[in-house]
Amino acid sequence: MSVPPSHIFLLAALLFAIGAAGFFLRRNVIVVLMCIELMLNAANLTFLAASRMHTLAHGARPDLQGPIFAIFVIVIAAVEAAVGLALVIALYRNKQTVSLDDVADLKD
Amino acid sequence: MSPQLLQQLFTADALWALAPLIALCLGAMLVLLSDILPGTAGLRRPLFLLTIAAAAYGAVHGFGAPEGTYMMGSFHHSHALSAWTVIFLLSGLIAFEFGQRYYKEEARFLAEHDVLMLTSLAGMVMMAGAADLLAFFIGLETLSVPLYTLAGFRRARSDSVEAGLKYFMLGAFAAAMFLYGAALVYAATGTISIEDMSGMGSTLTEPLALAGFALIVGSLFFKISVFPFHLWVPDVYQGAPTPVTAFMATGTKAAGFAFLLTLMGQNLASGKPVLPESAAWIVGWIAVITMAAGNLGALVQTDLKRMLAYSGVAHAGTMLLAIAAGWHDTEPHGAQTALLFYMAAYVFTAGGAFGLLAWMESEGGEVTIESLKGLSARRPMLAAAMAVFMLSLGGIPPLGGFWGKYLVFSCAVRADMIPLAVIGVLMSVIALGYYLKVIVAMYMQPQTQSHSAGISPRLAAAVATGVCALVVVALGMLPSWVLERLG
Repeated sequence: MSVPPSHIFLLAALLFAIGAAGFFLRRNVIVVLMCIELMLNAANLTFLAASRMHTLAHGARPDLQGPIFAIFVIVIAAVEAAVGLALVIALYRNKQTVSLDDVADLKD
Repeated sequence: MSPQLLQQLFTADALWALAPLIALCLGAMLVLLSDILPGTAGLRRPLFLLTIAAAAYGAVHGFGAPEGTYMMGSFHHSHALSAWTVIFLLSGLIAFEFGQRYYKEEARFLAEHDVLMLTSLAGMVMMAGAADLLAFFIGLETLSVPLYTLAGFRRARSDSVEAGLKYFMLGAFAAAMFLYGAALVYAATGTISIEDMSGMGSTLTEPLALAGFALIVGSLFFKISVFPFHLWVPDVYQGAPTPVTAFMATGTKAAGFAFLLTLMGQNLASGKPVLPESAAWIVGWIAVITMAAGNLGALVQTDLKRMLAYSGVAHAGTMLLAIAAGWHDTEPHGAQTALLFYMAAYVFTAGGAFGLLAWMESEGGEVTIESLKGLSARRPMLAAAMAVFMLSLGGIPPLGGFWGKYLVFSCAVRADMIPLAVIGVLMSVIALGYYLKVIVAMYMQPQTQSHSAGISPRLAAAVATGVCALVVVALGMLPSWVLERLG
């Protein structure tokens, strides 16, 4: 017995929504970074489920576009996390805080 | 990988199509090497200029090369791509020249600055030439990640770090939005190739595909700073080092619009838009609201950098009008031509204005309307150049900015979007309010603040300012010369 792709789509949509909500609601930069990772992985899950759905529909050959996309996303997510954490360190050196509430020098 | 496959992939045509990209990547590595190897620090500037020249040679060669799709359908070479590449390179070159002596305590990291800029340029070329969603995503990130770092480049200053962090957070959110959208589109259509999608007809208007395209376009709206994703622009543009702001305001915007044109089918062989026709008026109204948001925001600013940031939002709105007209335009490549010309003028105008700002800032701190008073008496040439840039941004004939606006509004008129064109023209009149404020301050009001000895002459910045101002005037005098070459 296997899980139908539609269930995985729903799970991914839920993960994306949790990530997006966390992005707007949480004030700690590190937690916000984690929320972004959650959203990226929701996209990965959708890619893999869609690839399986298309493979099941056509049957002849596995559809590899989705998995390959997901591999590139994993690499780029690592790059983004590296740069993001570097910026967080730069912020901490300047202000001794990682809370977004204290990052508001630039405004009208 | 079999040798036959390699031979199919790396044909001479494919290599020429990718030449600007290859040149930029190689150049970035060489500049990085010059930073590491002992005794080669002096090579930084020549290597950067050489890289830009090599990439420009590749782009110019591309004007004569056949159009086509390479690298297993992921990269599409067109003559428009060559034109976009030239625009990106000019944007990078202008930002580079104005950045030469802008940095003080960070000056020893300049090689890294240049490497990041070249990498970002490679990302722009990739974005503009992408023919599938994966190639576009890699281009987008290759463009964005170096820019996050560049925005926070003055890492000892909290406003620069804040700008970098804000740009990063919203950029990463937009990237996640794009990815989820791409995944939904892939689920609905079974392909990531934009060319394949354009022939799918009714599959593209299924709810899943529509949701996917909405997310993709939303993330592009973030990159080109369009309402409601424009709120980060003033903060990030103000906090980032000014040469980087010049680069972000011109190059990034151009790359985003180039890919929007791909989604509208104007960069592809099929020529059919992938985005559904029903979006035309929605995009049109978003364009008009963006103009209003940008102009109203700019009217109340006294800090020139922040004012130019809001003005950039208004310009993005104007350019988006050409995209909105793309579905019903009677000329098949009307939007492409209009945006190429608009962007060509905008690179020199906004690049020059931000560059001039960088030059003045590195002498006397923040530039406000107050500190500009009496500039024409202190530095007549500088004030004249600034006046040219402001008038061109405001769309006064006979300067380059006027023809850009004219072409965009005529797209809207051809597509029967006359109310939007009328509002757009009215918005340009409102915009004159703040552009003229700068000119009035420079020419008609006496100096109120004391200034140090004045702005020291700098060859690179002076030449760049002069060239930008001359090109803006030339584009206004001879628009047909450029338009003939564009298409």
